[in-house]
Amino acid sequence: MAPPRALSEFVAEANEVLETLAHDVAVLDAQRGREPEPDLLNAIFRAAHSLKGLSGMFGQERISTLAHHLEDVLDALRLGKVLASDALLDAILDGVDVLTLMLREASGEAPSDETARRATALTETFVRLASGGQQTAVDVLDEVGLDPAIRSVFTEYEEHRLRENVKKGIALWKVRAVFSLDDFDQRLAGLNATLKPLGEVISTLPSSQPGDETSIAFDLIFGSPRPQHEIETAVQTMASVQPLTNKPVRPRLVSEPEPDAPRTRPAPRPPVFASDVSSPELTPLSSSSPSGVMQGAEPSLRSLAQTVRVDIARLDGLMNVIGELLTVRANIHRLADVARQAGATPLPKLWGQELQKEARALERKLDELQAGVLDVRMVPLGQVFDKLARLMRRLVRQSGKDVHFEVSGGDVELDKLIVEELSDPLMHLLRNALDHGVETPDRRIAQGKDARGLIRLKAQQLGNQVQIEVGDDGAGMDEGRIKQVAIERGLVTRELTDELERRDLLNLVFLPGFSTRKDVSELSGRGVGLDVVKTNLARLSGLIDIDSRRGEGTTFVLTLPLTLAIIRALIVGVADRTFAVPLNSVTEIVAVKPAELRTIERREVLEVRGQTLPFVRLSRIFGLQELPVERHFVVVIGLAQERLGLAVDALLGQEDIVTKPLGGRLKGVPGIAGATELGDRRAVLVLDVAALVEELKRPQAAVG
Amino acid sequence: MANPRFEAQLARFFYRPDEDVGAWLELAPEIAEAGEVAEELPEEFLAFELGAEVYAVPIGAVREILKVPAITGVPRVAEHVLGVMNVRGEMLPVYDLKQRLRLVDAPQRVTGPTDLPRESRVVLLKDPEGDAGILVDRVQGVVRLPLSKLEPAPNLGADRRAVAGLGRAGGNLYILLDVEAALA
Ligand SMILES: Nc1ncnc2c1ncn2[C@@H]1O[C@H](COP(=O)(O)OP(=O)(O)O)[C@@H](O)[C@H]1O
Repeated sequence: MAPPRALSEFVAEANEVLETLAHDVAVLDAQRGREPEPDLLNAIFRAAHSLKGLSGMFGQERISTLAHHLEDVLDALRLGKVLASDALLDAILDGVDVLTLMLREASGEAPSDETARRATALTETFVRLASGGQQTAVDVLDEVGLDPAIRSVFTEYEEHRLRENVKKGIALWKVRAVFSLDDFDQRLAGLNATLKPLGEVISTLPSSQPGDETSIAFDLIFGSPRPQHEIETAVQTMASVQPLTNKPVRPRLVSEPEPDAPRTRPAPRPPVFASDVSSPELTPLSSSSPSGVMQGAEPSLRSLAQTVRVDIARLDGLMNVIGELLTVRANIHRLADVARQAGATPLPKLWGQELQKEARALERKLDELQAGVLDVRMVPLGQVFDKLARLMRRLVRQSGKDVHFEVSGGDVELDKLIVEELSDPLMHLLRNALDHGVETPDRRIAQGKDARGLIRLKAQQLGNQVQIEVGDDGAGMDEGRIKQVAIERGLVTRELTDELERRDLLNLVFLPGFSTRKDVSELSGRGVGLDVVKTNLARLSGLIDIDSRRGEGTTFVLTLPLTLAIIRALIVGVADRTFAVPLNSVTEIVAVKPAELRTIERREVLEVRGQTLPFVRLSRIFGLQELPVERHFVVVIGLAQERLGLAVDALLGQEDIVTKPLGGRLKGVPGIAGATELGDRRAVLVLDVAALVEELKRPQAAVG
Repeated sequence: MANPRFEAQLARFFYRPDEDVGAWLELAPEIAEAGEVAEELPEEFLAFELGAEVYAVPIGAVREILKVPAITGVPRVAEHVLGVMNVRGEMLPVYDLKQRLRLVDAPQRVTGPTDLPRESRVVLLKDPEGDAGILVDRVQGVVRLPLSKLEPAPNLGADRRAVAGLGRAGGNLYILLDVEAALA
């Protein structure tokens, strides 16, 4: 009997959170003895927090309570109130295990006293560990004279970061910037990028003194050991810099005893972390200064690593292309000089030919450059394979089966985004291979197989695609049973199954709610099923196929594109709507006053550096409200020979987007290529620039 | 911020994923209102209100009941298409059945939950041509309508082709929706 849908959805969500939590805790565990990375701690803290909220919402009190205590401990840890002791790490690891058990029980497995007992014991441990720390007696932030009014707006975490900076003798600054609302997000990101190399942006506060109607001010609270003039030079005109504190932060010597260290540390324990100023292992200031832990813009869990590591050879390749572009530029300059000196005399034919040649070279080099940059986004699958291998080892140990786990093709590269999204589906398939595929050693021997089972994870590149196989040499899938289960669950009718081919029968396992598990007490109740795996893959434009032989094993074959159609897009506002315009077709953006527009045969046109372009209001062609404006933002679109000025009301920034088709019956809406999701999850329509240009070329489209 | 035009942009900028419980809230109403949805017996229907009328669709055709999500209007489509919504990464259309069935005269503009009463929901229907949501005023719950007692739809003219039949239970009348016709 399947659990009710809402419950299984809960289990699915909770499981996802828990898996992330387990991943990150494993990383934390691997870093024992070092100062935990603030980012990692934050991610773990957030996962515990999410789990608490999620389970609370679904009335899962037990999980919620334990998650709550786990969260408290993690909070104390990330705020530096307690140390990452072995006992604490052990308790956190144990917590993840118990939460996993409880989730299983929530999803239908019989609750065991053992789990309850462990949970109670753990709760006590957590409470004890979390309360281990007291606030420091003398607050360094008081010492440096931080204005209490400013101080009240910081979160506890931000205060902690402030304190850490002060303890290291790093001065705190207030960097004030005023940006236009039209593009503040880009500019703020730019300012952040400028500041990061110099220190840590601790908090980004919308300023108490906002600008006018069209601008917004920010105060960036910034910790940096550099002198004020150096920071000022770096930010140039972007922002102004002031010390945040009344009294200067006193640079501390490493050997100086720290009067305000947490008092909770058991005395004999040697200090371990960099925040322990007396530690002999203390890393120098410059390298321990975190690279911008910015609370205000915490990335989401999945995109925690917004960076890619790049092989230097690839950068060299890009540099070469740029070198060649410089040659092209020089040639064009030369041709321009010739043209200027020619004055009124007609230019030789050769000049035109040469210009054409350079234009072509420019185009080619730009393509190369684009391809090179795409290339930089590629990361080896090994990054997830390694993580999966670690998890598999643990699962195999727990399962009591004897399994050899074989991994190959870790060097195959895929777009970073795809690689990240793949880890959950692959994990699920591997677990299935262990649960449903590989038999117990006794059984295997009885069938004349090697007692030791084999699970394979293999990747290979085939042209423009990557194939990933997850295979086992286990029992294979039982069509008869699949058929029976599908009918019992009411997923298909008996008549229908009689007509299905074997392949289609196997595909029934992708239906939501399908499972052949009888005994819910096995590793079951993970909530996530193959249906979710399939939808996740579809999101990556991938396919999944099954090859299964009775008694010989099952292989799932995933086929994925090398890169997602990730494109850079300009986000624009029209009336009260938001649209995305693929940047590859945008040649430039200009602002024009309505008075600068002309009409030709009653169609509006606009002049951009000597060229006359059709001027088209997006609001008008899409039947949206036309707002009165002082100036139009015109996105100039160039496509093959055609050029067109598309007027929008606002420019909202640039974004990397993945265009998804509009579902169902909305596929062929003219001018709309699909939709994408931006930060707030709302769907944003992506313009089909080619279709719009085509449409506006037609004479009857007298819309301008 | 004084200028409402930038509110969404600011909201997006200060958005923190860990504070967002939207996806879970969507699931929560299922417990309260349609706990039995998982049982796929042929006589079970999901009943919901459109204006003063009560409609029903076979439970098997329902993929999910959602709290009204943000809906993005799509230009150049029929009036009864409210727009698209983002369901965990999938972009799916949302239909205004009241407009489609001519229960109201003027099309309504809906961009999200704040435009609607609290009980409004989007019922996500499975459909071979692509799943789609329909906006309903309230979900009543699951009703059992014995198949043998269903009545054919009375002939009400072309606009009501989407009515597949009528069902009665406990003194109430349920209008059975022909999903495919309704979304056409
Ligand atoms: N590697 C495998 N070997 C044999 N059967 C499998 C394998 N993977 C999946 N299956 C079958 O597919 C079904 C659906 O799997 P899944 O959707 O993951 O749900 P669950 O694992 O909870 O049953 C399983 O119940 C099992 O019958």
